[in-house]
Amino acid sequence: MRGTEAPARRGSGGGAGAGAERVRAEILESERLPGEHHRLLLKAPRIAENARCGQFVHVWCHSPDELDRPPSAALLRRPYSISRVHPPDGVEILLRVRGTGGRILAGRSEGEELDVIGPLGNGFHVRESLRRAVVVAGGIGLAPVPFLLQSLTARPVRVVLLVGAACDEMIPYQVKRSGAEGATLPELAALGVDIAFASEAVEGRLATDLLAERLGELGSQGDEIMAIGPRAMLKRVAEMAGGRLPVQVSLEERMACGVGACRSCVVPSTDGAYKTVCRDGPVFYASEIDWERLDP
Amino acid sequence: MSGLDLTVRIGAMTMKNPVMVASGVFGYGDEFKGLADYGELGALVVKTITREPRAGNPPACRTAETPAGMVNAIGLENVGLDVFLREKLPAALEYGTNIVASIAGDRPEDFAECAGALDGSQVAGIEINISCPNVKKGGMSFGVDAEASAEVVSAVRGATGKPIVAKLTPNVTDIASIAVACEAAGADAISCTNTFSAMVIDVEKRCPLLAAGTGGLSGPAIRPAAVLRVYQVAQAVKCPVIGMGGIWNASDALEFILAGASAVAVGTALYADPAAGNRVLEGIRAYLEGHHIGAVGDLVGSVRL
Repeated sequence: MRGTEAPARRGSGGGAGAGAERVRAEILESERLPGEHHRLLLKAPRIAENARCGQFVHVWCHSPDELDRPPSAALLRRPYSISRVHPPDGVEILLRVRGTGGRILAGRSEGEELDVIGPLGNGFHVRESLRRAVVVAGGIGLAPVPFLLQSLTARPVRVVLLVGAACDEMIPYQVKRSGAEGATLPELAALGVDIAFASEAVEGRLATDLLAERLGELGSQGDEIMAIGPRAMLKRVAEMAGGRLPVQVSLEERMACGVGACRSCVVPSTDGAYKTVCRDGPVFYASEIDWERLDP
Repeated sequence: MSGLDLTVRIGAMTMKNPVMVASGVFGYGDEFKGLADYGELGALVVKTITREPRAGNPPACRTAETPAGMVNAIGLENVGLDVFLREKLPAALEYGTNIVASIAGDRPEDFAECAGALDGSQVAGIEINISCPNVKKGGMSFGVDAEASAEVVSAVRGATGKPIVAKLTPNVTDIASIAVACEAAGADAISCTNTFSAMVIDVEKRCPLLAAGTGGLSGPAIRPAAVLRVYQVAQAVKCPVIGMGGIWNASDALEFILAGASAVAVGTALYADPAAGNRVLEGIRAYLEGHHIGAVGDLVGSVRL
């Protein structure tokens, strides 16, 4: 059963993670996006250089000059998936403006600095033998998708992108529906990415419905599914693949330390122990997760 | 370099300065490696271990951010004594400063067994966690009772010659009486305090936010309450007190020292600023120099009433 093949990972021993650093990153661009989304482009050369798709940065929402004063709100750092890197020094993150931290960060101005630790965690493993990657993405889970596509399209890999969102507003930047026909994004199409959209609001369909249509043709040695989105979707994708082909999933959970120390963000794994989303993840092979015990 | 004397002695353990990292926050030490110079600090108290590994409380969720603080209910998830000694301790010792183990158990004998095993190790001291609010057995159930606390301390004392520190819970009527009992039972120092019992409710779901139902509040929100506990304990015991509870900056740390703490520990602040301990140390140094105080010991308990 190839679905359980041991992931070749960077491992979780020794320090905050290979290449992780704490930096002061200038906000190069701050842009409000449709819905409750906001995009920040940060200047962080070392993170841009070392980051792998699926990894995250841990961001202090307030001014780095005010670290000596305890804030009454947003005391903890906030984890954000790296949405995309712009070599040589740009790191892009996508936030939801809804929460306290997101609101503070969205209010910070271009030219200001942020205190950022990263890149953290284990990202997607893009194996040498990968020939076809089916990326299943739903909701805010879309945040790390651009970086994943960046990495995949740089390799001789056929990429299928299946996007589901509760409504059009939930489909943030870069991967957008263009017109009633839907389903194209010029930049990605030019790279040969095969894109399909499902809208629960409009058609009552989910990303997993799109996957169901393609499942029959999957299962060759070089095939793999990479899923990003709500847990229910990830679990369904894992079930659908049923061990016929490897599935990687990106999980989210509340964090405090971001480096594996506090054990806040644990999820049950098939080896019986808990694994940390921040350090062992956020990307796991579906076969590593005990889906029955995982909180929905 | 000035002739500042920052050293602190806890039993046979000498610390080059009074700033420590509190247990639980820092994991086993290696997780934070590279994010600050932790070797610069006086001592690092690593995550509480038990004889056998523990899974801790159910996930989703274990931590909630609150105004100027956070509530956690991890439930002493840990790798167990053997893995700690074999894998975690050697990595922590690489920092080149005092590593203090923290131990817990269901019965006094469990504490003694851990302490006995640590006695031959390179830990500089042993903190006795009789104050975790997040486990059903052991933990705080010892720390809320002077006699039970003393029984644990006494069992540990019988098992090790290492400096031992009793970490107390603030969730009691009279913390000073518990500190006195621990000192009489052989504790070399008192850590004061652990988290305050707390609850966060999800109003949409109308159920507790934390999977465990309740947790322990830490962070700046508890600082004034913790300072008072330190003051009360320091008035009652002769042994050194290690003050902690929401320390964010040097001024916070100095409050604890003035209240009677010989050393201080930084906890929750590390999540925001991994170098919070170093920042606090720098600030204490600047304060002493600015006020022409030669030794940090001269400040301990010197609050004027």
